[in-house]
Amino acid sequence: MSETNRETGYVDYVALLGLPPDFKPGDARRVYRKMMKDLLVEISRTEITEERKNHYLLEIARLNAAFYILRDRERCEKYLADRQEVMALEEEWRAHADAPQQSDLLRRKFDQALRHFLSTYMEELMLEAGRDPECVECSNWDAAHERHASRVLRHYRQRLYQIIHERLLYYDITAPRIDWEERKETARATLDVLSAASGAPASERGAL
Amino acid sequence: MSRTDTPQKKPVTPEQVAEVMAHAVATGDFVNFRFIFAPFSPLRNDSTESLDHPKYAYLLPGSEKSSAFEQALGVVSSPEVLNHVMAQLEKKGPAQYPWQPLLLLADNAVRLGKFTMASQAYELLRIRRRMQELYLEMGDEAIRQGNVSRGVLAYRVACGLDYDYAAFPEPLPAVPNYQHTALILHGDFPENPEQALPLRPETELVRTGLVYLSGNAEIAGRLDAFDHEIRRAVLAEWIRTADGTWSDFAARYREAIRMVDAYNQRVREIVENVGPHAVEMALDPETARLPIQAQVLLSGRTDEHQEWWQCLKELAASHPGGALFVTRAVVAGNREVLLPCYRSDSPLAEMVGLADTKAETRAVV
Repeated sequence: MSETNRETGYVDYVALLGLPPDFKPGDARRVYRKMMKDLLVEISRTEITEERKNHYLLEIARLNAAFYILRDRERCEKYLADRQEVMALEEEWRAHADAPQQSDLLRRKFDQALRHFLSTYMEELMLEAGRDPECVECSNWDAAHERHASRVLRHYRQRLYQIIHERLLYYDITAPRIDWEERKETARATLDVLSAASGAPASERGAL
Repeated sequence: MSRTDTPQKKPVTPEQVAEVMAHAVATGDFVNFRFIFAPFSPLRNDSTESLDHPKYAYLLPGSEKSSAFEQALGVVSSPEVLNHVMAQLEKKGPAQYPWQPLLLLADNAVRLGKFTMASQAYELLRIRRRMQELYLEMGDEAIRQGNVSRGVLAYRVACGLDYDYAAFPEPLPAVPNYQHTALILHGDFPENPEQALPLRPETELVRTGLVYLSGNAEIAGRLDAFDHEIRRAVLAEWIRTADGTWSDFAARYREAIRMVDAYNQRVREIVENVGPHAVEMALDPETARLPIQAQVLLSGRTDEHQEWWQCLKELAASHPGGALFVTRAVVAGNREVLLPCYRSDSPLAEMVGLADTKAETRAVV
């Protein structure tokens, strides 16, 4: 697995704003303002559906969070350290996959760190950023956005958790060997069974 | 007082474990499957619970063994699986489930329509999204080939496997919540006929209907790739098949349409002969009750005192598609009720058996 794949899910706010590793808070401010302006222009030109509304709300919240975290030296350093730590814990767990007892311990430690990282930087600070005067000024974020965003952000955090979880080692079940050709056939056969059942009188259809 | 010894529990045999697990797998029962490995499971030798107790009879297969049970027993009895299961039952701490029976359980659960069970099992196997995608692709293929009913079935299975990652405190299988979403659909009172949901342009109604029935805007959005006529046929099929008693509802709906038609005719007569100010006084009590009786028919209850939103919730829970063919209206006595309503220029109502050719009224204003 490449380094990039391993990093998927651990959102990199520095990369999100397209900043160099040695960026200054002023750079973050300049790029953030430009990106937010472009995004708001794009939103104003788009027909907003429920799906797009959630998408744009998340995009605004991500940009706000990136700026809010990166412009403050202390907050930024803590974020980068937490991100490095959780990624290192994943690697450490992978490295000890053959030792069941140690592996279990490391997995729990990693899981705790991951949940903390995601809830802090992908939810709590995103909402906090929406209350920051500078972010409010640039993004027009208000209380109504926050109310709606809380569900969107919870969904976003859990999705990221699932994305990371899906590439990890299996521990709660034995590692499955999935044959996708067989899966296709099974799905096809299942549809045949369900089609036949739905042709029967309503009282015999069961749960369907 | 003498102390009586607790009767010794008979050791659980691998055959018993295999039978119990095969029964859970064959019936697609994810809850029973997990229970097998619980710390207090009667299948653990160190547990005080005994499988011989009548309260655990539900874990055992009946006398008649189905082919699904035989297949499951074959998978569970394989040395690789059974040895692993027995080792997990001896182990302290969280068990590691064997993947082979879990996969079979998920497939059986889909066949039996137990989608929440299936989605939990697929989620544990980390293949839920790909299985969902597989069914969606099959649905698209069937619709492209003109087999709308199979396509809708595949889409409904895919929606059944959906997961709600925003659920609190942990992600859970997503389940339809029509009684809640129908209220959102009718949240704003229609000030004029064009604002009523069933009277909006048909393309808009079809899109809204598909999002509402699928419960997932992303899945419904896939259908945008098809022509409007096909999407309309998909919606009609979805409405009919999402509800086992749709034809009963359709008959009640047509009856309600006739009642509203009679009411509208009388109101029109009064307005033409006397004027709109006289409607309240000139309406006889029997005619004035017609819209309320129509609302009662729609909800399927006998209570005439229900509010419009109570009727809507009843209607949406028992006949989800019905919520797309009703509107809120204020009738004589300044009472807000739920009334049947559909576009006469759209074939949708006829496709789902709601159109009444005898009635004059197609829309309640």
